[in-house]
Amino acid sequence: MTTSAKSVRGLGSAGAGTQHHIRQRVTAVALLFLVPWFLYSIIVACKAGYEGALTWVAQPVNAILLILTLSAALYHMRLGIQVVIEDYIAKSGTRQALLILNTFAVIALAAATILSVLKIWFTAGA
Amino acid sequence: MVQLTLPKGSAPKKGKTWPKPEGKKVKKFKVYRYSPEEGGNPRWDTYFVDMDQCGPMILDVLIYIKNNIDSTLAFRRSCREGVCGSCAMNIGGQNTIACTRGWEEIAGPHITIAPLPHQPVVKDLIPDLTNFYAQHAYVQPFLKTDTPEPEKEWTQTEEERELLDGLYECILCASCSTSCPSYWWNGDKYLGPAALLQAYRWLIDSRDEATGERLDDLEDPFKLYRCHTIMNCAQVCPKGLNPAKAIAKIKHMMVERVA
Repeated sequence: MTTSAKSVRGLGSAGAGTQHHIRQRVTAVALLFLVPWFLYSIIVACKAGYEGALTWVAQPVNAILLILTLSAALYHMRLGIQVVIEDYIAKSGTRQALLILNTFAVIALAAATILSVLKIWFTAGA
Repeated sequence: MVQLTLPKGSAPKKGKTWPKPEGKKVKKFKVYRYSPEEGGNPRWDTYFVDMDQCGPMILDVLIYIKNNIDSTLAFRRSCREGVCGSCAMNIGGQNTIACTRGWEEIAGPHITIAPLPHQPVVKDLIPDLTNFYAQHAYVQPFLKTDTPEPEKEWTQTEEERELLDGLYECILCASCSTSCPSYWWNGDKYLGPAALLQAYRWLIDSRDEATGERLDDLEDPFKLYRCHTIMNCAQVCPKGLNPAKAIAKIKHMMVERVA
């Protein structure tokens, strides 16, 4: 038996949460600019066919903006999925396992996509 | 996983239908019934009320049913004028207080009346709000100061006092917290809109000196940041308050102290 005060206090305040809140909003602001650029550019690049798309990615400005878009989007996604997991998975062991999996998945996606952009950038015209 | 279905023995079944009286203005009410002594699943009892014999509010309907049809119906009520918050329940699918909601405001062939959602039921329309009250206590809803108390009283300018408008009016009926999906899933850890509205009421009180400690107590992914601005709280508040806005302002204060 525990009192209601004990259960509400629980393990106490984590002393965290605001950083997550800020990062989610900062990445959202970045994406507000990057996503429209990305959508517009990808349509233009696709119209130029496979070779044209490769040339587009190989341009330094495009490659850099692509990497920034991917970084911001994937980080934003990691923060968002973290909230979904915390919302719906009550069991602490399962929750922690899924949070780790979320981080791994995002890092793997980041490595794969960013290295692909770099590969095109560095090898195009070589 | 979050529990999306009702636990065993909680799904309401069809209950008793009470006789329909003669009359031109007879309205049908489906009322949630549960008694721990009787056991078994809860049930929906159907009552017919001649509205010419009954007052305009849902609380009048419940009192009419208890006095004239079925004396076993249990519900909380006290002030019958929207001040005490005792008669909060789910009426026509929306949390509110029965004493200020007119039955004519609710469309449809019948009106459902159920206890506040996602709380343990003591009996019929009476929820167990122990956890809700403990969460209110957690935010320490009283003036905290270190400066020795002035001889007469703590003074406040009119502008400083105005900051408390829209916050102090809360009657702690629990309509907001029990309408919040985030509170449904994580009500054990998330403090909920009612407690957080009260937390903000003391955070911006010009006389209170414990602002930092109060923010420390809320700096938590669950206690505060489970609010996802779903806004059900503001939608249902029978006093027309906006707990979601108060929570957003607490988040602003949190950001302000780090950046």
